[in-house]
Amino acid sequence: MLRRRVLAGLATAALLAMAGCSSASDKGGDVTLTYGVWDKNQVPAMEKIAGEFTKAHPTVTVKVELTPSKEYWTKLQTSVTGGSAPDVFWMNAPRFGLYASSGVLAPMDKKADLSKYPKSLVDTYNWQGKQYALPKDYDTIGLWYNKALFDAAGVKYPDDSWTWDTLTEAAKKLTDPAKGQFGIAAPAYSQENYYNTIFQAGGSVVSADKKKSGYDDAATVKGLQFWVDLINKQKVSPTVQQMSDTEPTQLFTSGKVAMMYGGSWEAVGFAKDDTLKGKIDVAVLPKGDQRAVVIHGLGNVVYAKSKHPKEALEFATFLGSEQAHKIQAETGTVIPAFEGTQQTWVSSMPQYQLKIFLDEVAYAKPYPISKNTAAWADQERKLLPTAWDGSRDLAGVSKELAAGMNAALAKE
Amino acid sequence: MSRSRLWPVHLVLAIGAAAMVAPFFWEFLTSVQSFGESTRIPPTFVPSWEWSNYTRVFDSLPFGRQFLNTVLMTAGRTIAQLIFCALAGYAFARLKFPGRGFLFVLFLSVLMVPSQLFLIPQYQIVSELGWLNTLAALIVPGMFSAFGTFLLRQFFLGLPNDIEEAARIDGANPLRIFWHVMLPLARPGLLALGILTVLWSWNDLMWPLVVNTSPESMTLSAGLATLQGEHLTEYPVLMAGSLMATLPVIVIFVVAQKHLIQGIAFTGSK
Amino acid sequence: MTTTETRVARAATRAPGRRPRGDWPWAYLMIAPTGLGLAVFYLWPVVQTVYFSFTEWGAFGGHTWVGLANYQTLIHDPAVGHALRNTFVYSGLVLLGVPLSIVLAVLLNTPKLRGVSVYRTLYFLPVVTMPAAVAMLWRWIYNGDYGLLNYGLSLFGVDGPYWVSDGRVVLYAMAVVGVWTLIGYNAVIFLAGLQCIPQHYYEAAAIDGAGRVRQFFSITLPLLSPSIFFVTVLTVIGSLQMFDLIYMMMDRNNPALTDNRTIVYLFYEAAFVNNQRGYAACIAVVLLAVILSLTVVQFRLQKKWVHYE
Repeated sequence: MLRRRVLAGLATAALLAMAGCSSASDKGGDVTLTYGVWDKNQVPAMEKIAGEFTKAHPTVTVKVELTPSKEYWTKLQTSVTGGSAPDVFWMNAPRFGLYASSGVLAPMDKKADLSKYPKSLVDTYNWQGKQYALPKDYDTIGLWYNKALFDAAGVKYPDDSWTWDTLTEAAKKLTDPAKGQFGIAAPAYSQENYYNTIFQAGGSVVSADKKKSGYDDAATVKGLQFWVDLINKQKVSPTVQQMSDTEPTQLFTSGKVAMMYGGSWEAVGFAKDDTLKGKIDVAVLPKGDQRAVVIHGLGNVVYAKSKHPKEALEFATFLGSEQAHKIQAETGTVIPAFEGTQQTWVSSMPQYQLKIFLDEVAYAKPYPISKNTAAWADQERKLLPTAWDGSRDLAGVSKELAAGMNAALAKE
Repeated sequence: MSRSRLWPVHLVLAIGAAAMVAPFFWEFLTSVQSFGESTRIPPTFVPSWEWSNYTRVFDSLPFGRQFLNTVLMTAGRTIAQLIFCALAGYAFARLKFPGRGFLFVLFLSVLMVPSQLFLIPQYQIVSELGWLNTLAALIVPGMFSAFGTFLLRQFFLGLPNDIEEAARIDGANPLRIFWHVMLPLARPGLLALGILTVLWSWNDLMWPLVVNTSPESMTLSAGLATLQGEHLTEYPVLMAGSLMATLPVIVIFVVAQKHLIQGIAFTGSK
Repeated sequence: MTTTETRVARAATRAPGRRPRGDWPWAYLMIAPTGLGLAVFYLWPVVQTVYFSFTEWGAFGGHTWVGLANYQTLIHDPAVGHALRNTFVYSGLVLLGVPLSIVLAVLLNTPKLRGVSVYRTLYFLPVVTMPAAVAMLWRWIYNGDYGLLNYGLSLFGVDGPYWVSDGRVVLYAMAVVGVWTLIGYNAVIFLAGLQCIPQHYYEAAAIDGAGRVRQFFSITLPLLSPSIFFVTVLTVIGSLQMFDLIYMMMDRNNPALTDNRTIVYLFYEAAFVNNQRGYAACIAVVLLAVILSLTVVQFRLQKKWVHYE
């Protein structure tokens, strides 16, 4: 008897839940928007912005929906196809071309003042004359280092005099195989690592007209060789396998590596970690043949099939406002894109020399993209690690990558 | 064979059992280590009892909600399968009707096909019904089972005829006979199918991963994938999460293992 | 069953006379829920998948007929050949666990052995544990620097590899996990099979002077062969569809991933990462063909070694 009642109870609960879930969004009057993001560190700031938006629009509430970056794009593409994507979501440069050209994004209001944001970022999110996103933030890459390990090894902290050679020499002194300690982490990451050195060596990833790959250029290969050598020749970095088993950031925060190339977005996570207090800082990227760094910024886009297009557009516009960017700056999450709000971000975490991220903008190169970036970025991800782990010769790998990438570009 | 000669058997079995259990033991130990301890060599066997790893799982995931989703999905699939499969299994085993052989072969053919063949169209159906990110997406396709029908048909075939005949002579219709006479007799079979379905639903990964992508509507197994995506290789937190996700089925198993093992043995004997 | 018995049984069911005619509406009614569900969610999708395998999909839905183009791409795609090879290697390795399960079942079947249910519970724990959790747990044990396994090996002076990111060992590492999770399950099926073997066979063999090893090979194995066949077929079908382990154990930036993908992982990647649903459907159809033909081969071969009483 009891068992039957339990079963019946569960069945009713299940039915109610089913009914509840599918009709929740249709209650008249109040509107709930979903806002898709991938960085956990930024969730508090995003929720604060959402709260401010609700203050101004009392009938609209915004639910921030976090998907870890590893699965963000897979899930987004699936849910966009299935018609269930968030109303507003984060967009990055490499994915933008595909989404904008497929008509799944709604264009922005013409009212927004685009002159308040860096022009390169505004242009990134423009497709055939229509603006699809207001810039949310931007990021550059810096050299994060562990002061405690530098002190212990008696090495001078990195500064703007550093070159690739200085870095290599310092990394050698900071490597101690007995302790399992390495000078630097050299993973095969594009934005954080090899894009920067490719540009510093004078190479390119994709040609300006987006028709040709740069991977068969000797300068580009030089930029890649730098990282391969750090692992295989100088042996001052953990191997690719090791960094796959334990993430570079974790190796860095646990004091197993002394230096890592990391984005401005890392600052907020590091600042929250009590074990790192007073131990780490950041410096400008060492110089190659020239100074260079990759700049990239996110945008907030509106889903074309949103059930509440008007409210979604209002929220996306609010996300681009000075007020929203100030909140991002105060919480120290990222470098805001709105003119004049960046300094607030720098002073939000005085323990780090965050100013270097802004200084680097002067010689920054935009993140390399084409219409369907993912098609060739996938080949980068699959091919380059075979050179990083020493199983294949870098020259052969980059030639193969160039050929595959040219084929992908030809299809666009 | 005398008792005293059994010790080599016990020795071998115990070594094997240790290999089965040791990973779980290590999982628990890791789950109460600090991150620093987890990356120490030699490994830390006396941890600092960092229980906060468990609360960190709740910070990263709507764990309670995902737990509820998993329970509701499991309960929904299991209850529906028990009812539907019993009905169909009974009809195939005990009733005569035109096309029985053909229909049965059609049912069985579903068993032969790998689940990837259903996945894309099932996804399309669910998405066209507007069920993505709802419990319905998790439950409905799992309510029907060719395997369950087959299992219960075999079970009904093995039951004696005479009680049913008596009921028939009394003029009861097949549904009444099924409900009042046969179903109570089929209890062991139902229990076996029930437990197998609970296990299979609770542990299912690919389907929930694909249809329910918002954290609030995910199941625990997909949630674990998310947890790993976020904490990357921070194993103490990952181990805490996976222990919590696993524990309920282990408890069910320990309580109901007799029926589960009977069920598995039964599938193997036919 | 002999033919006479069948005839008797048939006669018995026919005896009351007035049964079958009125049954069939009831029967259809009872079959309807499962029948319709299977038709909508399983049978029709198979037809659709076969159709999809001849189409190409846009990035966000919509598909066009492309004839055999997907199949042509598939034949020339080195990743597919690679993935098939990986899948076969993995399945072959997991099959090596079947003899282990037989030994385990025989040991558990030892007369007068105490604590059988305790052992059974312990061996069964990996079977009931969520595969996603199992994969995470083993990924940790396999960690090249801080993993328990390499620590254990270091005690014997062995420098263990990076088990899940070294392309040369990762399939073996995953197969060990596959065996670990299957041993208990298969042993239970074998145990049921063993308990059907009449004890007097062994007694007779013992009188003839056959030792335990001899008995195992001349009585146990032949009489257990139907169970062995069943387990082999199930294990092959299951391991050909390996996905959870690789999805959870190997990140997208794992250097060994590209060369160690299984066929179902390739399917998942095509269908839900790259949104090439048509190509994914094509891979699924190929998987079906592989599974069906392997199963047919196994059924053909069974006549040579499986003894039914």
